[in-house]
Amino acid sequence: MDTRVVIVIPVYNEAQVIGEVLAEIRSIGAYPVIVVDDGSADDSFVQASVRGALTLRHRINRGKGAAVKTGIMAANLLEPDVVVTMDGDGQHDPADIAGLIRPVVEKGYDVVLGSRTMNSVDMPKIKVAANNIGNFFTWLFYGIWVSDSQSGFRAYSKYAALIIDTKADKYEYDSKVIREIKTNRLEFTEVPVQTRYTEYSQGKKQKQGFVNGMITLLRMIWNMLT
Amino acid sequence: MFEKVLLYQVVVVAISSVMLFQGIKEFVKRESGQTVLKLLVRLVVWGGMTVIAVYPDISYKFSRIVGIEDNITAVIVTGFLFVLLIIFKLLSAIEKLEQNVSELTRRDSLREAHERIEQLRRDIVDKERPGQR
Repeated sequence: MDTRVVIVIPVYNEAQVIGEVLAEIRSIGAYPVIVVDDGSADDSFVQASVRGALTLRHRINRGKGAAVKTGIMAANLLEPDVVVTMDGDGQHDPADIAGLIRPVVEKGYDVVLGSRTMNSVDMPKIKVAANNIGNFFTWLFYGIWVSDSQSGFRAYSKYAALIIDTKADKYEYDSKVIREIKTNRLEFTEVPVQTRYTEYSQGKKQKQGFVNGMITLLRMIWNMLT
Repeated sequence: MFEKVLLYQVVVVAISSVMLFQGIKEFVKRESGQTVLKLLVRLVVWGGMTVIAVYPDISYKFSRIVGIEDNITAVIVTGFLFVLLIIFKLLSAIEKLEQNVSELTRRDSLREAHERIEQLRRDIVDKERPGQR
C-alpha cells in the first residue's frame, strides 16, 4: 500500500528560492506539495504556482505558525497518511523527508521532529546556544525535553495532523506543537536532519534569529500569564 | 474587625479573586492553552496580591528591607495593580483580535483554494487507483 505524503511549506518573500526548493522535492519523489504564501510582497505565490505546487495565499502576513496551520488544514483535505512541514528558504534538505516519515509509517509514531542539533556540525554556535535556550523554556513551559524545539522540519501522522491545534501565529508555533504532543499524549521521536546555512537563509530579515528568538520567548511567557 | 478593612484591600481582593477564579475554572475545564505551570503562575501572582492586601505588614516588612518605608506604598501597589490589570486586559484583547484576524485570513485562503484542493485530491486518488490504495 502506498503512503500518501503531503508536504506543507510556509513562505514569506521566498520568490528567489522557492522554485529551487520545489524542484529539489520533485527530484526525490512525486509528493503533493502545498505552499502557503503568507502575504508576501514579492511573487512567491506565482513562483510556487508555476512549479506545480498547490499554492494558498494569506492576504496579509500572519506569521509562520499561522501559515503552517493553514497548510496542514489544506493537507488534511487531501486525506494524507503523513504530513511533512518544512521551511521554504532551502535550509532543509528534501533528502531527509524519507527519514522523517519512516518512524510514522513503520513504527506508528504520531510526530517526528527533525533535529538540527543531532547533526549540528555546521550549525553556528550562536544558533546552538539560542536553540538550547528555546529547548529549556519549551521544557519548562510544556514539560517535554527535545533536542530541537524550534525546528520546522517535522512529520505528522494523519491523527496528529488532525488533532494538533494551536492558536500560535508566529515562531512560537513550533514550541506550541510540543505542548500539543504532551496534552494529546502523542507518541513522538526525533531524527537528525541536515540544515544548509546558505548566505540567503542567513541574510533573511524574518528568520528566527536571536532577536526574534527573544520575542518568541516573551510571547511564550505572555501566553503563560494570560 | 471590619472597621480596620480598607477600601484598597477590598478592591485588590475582589480583582484577585476574579482572576484566580477564572484561572482555576479555565484549568478545570481544560480550556485550550491551560497548563499546570500557567495555573501556578496565576496563583502566585494574584494570590500574592491577595496576601499583600490582606496582610499589608508583609509589604511593610518588605518595603523596610528594600528601603521604601512609608504609607504611600499601599497607593503605589494599588496603582500598579490597576495599571497591570489594564495592560493585561488590553494585551489579551489585542491577542484575541490577532487570532481572529488569522482565522479569517485562513478561512479566506482555504475558500479561495477550495476548488484546486478538490482537484488535487481527485488527481491523487486517480493516480493511486491502479495501485489499489
